[in-house]
Amino acid sequence: MRILFFAHLKNAARCTSTEIHFDGEIDAAALWQRLLADYPDLKGYQPSVRLARNNTYAVAGTRFSDADEVALIPPVSGG
Amino acid sequence: MMIEISIVNHLIDPHQPLPTTLVGRTGAVAEFSGLVRGNEDGQPIGGLEYEAYRPMAEQIMHTIIEDLGHRHPCLFVRVIHRVGAVAVGEAAVYVVACAVHRAAALGLVGDFLDRLKQDVPIWKTGTLGLAGRPLPPSP
Repeated sequence: MRILFFAHLKNAARCTSTEIHFDGEIDAAALWQRLLADYPDLKGYQPSVRLARNNTYAVAGTRFSDADEVALIPPVSGG
Repeated sequence: MMIEISIVNHLIDPHQPLPTTLVGRTGAVAEFSGLVRGNEDGQPIGGLEYEAYRPMAEQIMHTIIEDLGHRHPCLFVRVIHRVGAVAVGEAAVYVVACAVHRAAALGLVGDFLDRLKQDVPIWKTGTLGLAGRPLPPSP
């Protein structure tokens, strides 16, 4: 799974993207658990960050697989 | 409804011609340019830096406009958003909507801008000093 970081999350993760691997599908809680284990500085941002799976915002019940591209979307501020 | 979405790292040209197929059908053209102001948190600045998750931003803007088109039927909508450094006075975003009547064109532009600020993955990532160099983040 490719993980993308944007805006200030790049500083918290100290990278713009990473790859993580696991078997089968996982839910958002399990994905966050893995992300926070690898990037503990993301913890303070988690409440305001939305997950996007393959260019679409994740919703309750979204499952993530190893082939997905997942973006961590902090609050947006375009315009 | 024709939709054009662009995310660019150069100056926005608001004078790009509209599709010729609109001539004779369009009765209203509503345009909006969102310009970078010269101060941020009370301090003078030279500009802002923007970042986008480009494929998702383009896809979501397209979806938003299609959705808004049910409520505000338009013939054509063009959105251009800048990324990278945008100097004070330059447009960070430009929207034009063409419709048969003004209510639809104005309504779509206004509602789109609200949705842009809620759901489209584009971020102001920093400020530029008056010399055009990035400023350190506020404490």
